[in-house]
Amino acid sequence: MPRYDANKIAMALPLKTADASQTEDFESDPKIVKFVVVKKREEQAKEELTSFEEAMLPHLDAAHNLAKWLLRNEEDAQDVVQEAYLRAFRSFAGFHGTNGRAWLLTIVRNTSYTLLKKSHAVDVTTSFDEEIHASGHESVSPATLLEHSEDAQLIKEAMDELPAEFREILTLRHQEGLSYKEIADIAQIPSGTVMSRLARARAKLRECLKARIGKEK
Amino acid sequence: MNCEEAIKLMDGYLDGELDPIMNQAIEHHLRECHNCDQAYKTQRSLIGAIGNATPYFKAPAELRERIRSSLREETTEQPVRNGVPGAHVVFHKRQPEPRSILSEIPWNWLGLAAAIIFAAIIAFNVVPRSQRPGPDQFLATQLIASHVRSLMANHLTDVASSDQHTVKPWLDAKLDFAPAVVDLSEKGFPLVGGRLDYLDNRPVAALIYQRHKHFINLFVWPAGSDAAGATRAMTRQGYQLFHWVDPDFNYWAVSDINAKELQEFKQLFEEQIPHH
Repeated sequence: MPRYDANKIAMALPLKTADASQTEDFESDPKIVKFVVVKKREEQAKEELTSFEEAMLPHLDAAHNLAKWLLRNEEDAQDVVQEAYLRAFRSFAGFHGTNGRAWLLTIVRNTSYTLLKKSHAVDVTTSFDEEIHASGHESVSPATLLEHSEDAQLIKEAMDELPAEFREILTLRHQEGLSYKEIADIAQIPSGTVMSRLARARAKLRECLKARIGKEK
Repeated sequence: MNCEEAIKLMDGYLDGELDPIMNQAIEHHLRECHNCDQAYKTQRSLIGAIGNATPYFKAPAELRERIRSSLREETTEQPVRNGVPGAHVVFHKRQPEPRSILSEIPWNWLGLAAAIIFAAIIAFNVVPRSQRPGPDQFLATQLIASHVRSLMANHLTDVASSDQHTVKPWLDAKLDFAPAVVDLSEKGFPLVGGRLDYLDNRPVAALIYQRHKHFINLFVWPAGSDAAGATRAMTRQGYQLFHWVDPDFNYWAVSDINAKELQEFKQLFEEQIPHH
């Protein structure tokens, strides 16, 4: 086993470390050099954190809103958003895009689905009773529907009945106003699928609204 | 455009996501068709109203603070990479891991995943190599072709000698590697000679041994970094192939003798080659 000569390392350090040139007075004390190096790293980390926060914290409301609609539960939504920010921060160095909101929402979406799947939520996809609501509420006229469509509570209840992928696409389009392309990236579906899924989601939402209005009568 | 198409594209039109040609086509249809125009207008105001009325859940202030402090924890937690040894010990103390959703994934799922991968590996290795097409298959074909050609065209050897001390230098001079050459006459596998060949995209040494009236082509080339594995035997078109590797070389023996004899040959060969 080769043994390193501690003195040699100590001698070499100040010469090899770029930061050392500013600390000529302390050149012979490796501890000072270490301190300078660590200080620099801490500054770098701070800068990185600042630029991350500047880029991503403005989208906190969007992140929280999406998570809340997906998870339908405030506590889970907050946990997911926090987790998503940590994940985003860890991979922030690899993010070179310009659309920070879409990037963050993708992470929020994926983190939410992880939790949904873990808790065995059955409604992630739209396999179930998509057709069931589609009939039987024809009595509710378009005018009545429109009248009720300003009722936030009613809309919330109807939205919460929808499968997650419908809640997701409606939120992204109606509330975030994202383009089909952005939605396709976030929901990880082909661009061509966005329009048809959105149409199905809106139709289903209409039916749920009609069903609720019909019950109220 | 007919009504059916128009209804299909309605959402895209409402969202302003159609290409200009489609856009024009649907606009044209809406001017002509009162029903679709009505449907469009109803849909437009409904979506507008729903969009406006859908509750938007803004993040509470404490979530922002929670996230900011967890990010700070994350930065102080990171070990100093490539740092001066020991430096981080002085300036950083470990913090507990932040609460993570991922850490709550049940381990039995990971276990199941591991089991599946394990099973796949086992299956992959147990299924006889000969039943799977692949690089081996291709190589086997090449080996047999080479063996057959060597017997056919009166070109069994480039250097015909039963003396390993003749064959080896000759091969060494022609190749960029120096395969071991041993004479197994006493064991019933006399050396016939050596030949240059070209296999697997590289020049290789072919050593020719005899067993009674049969010939064995032993192809040798340096073992690649992939170390494509274990000893194996296969049968192709009535020929026996036997493959093994040692730290330096890949060996492929091809012959029409039976598998048992070929394996015996391999053992004798391995016993005889000088070990370093």
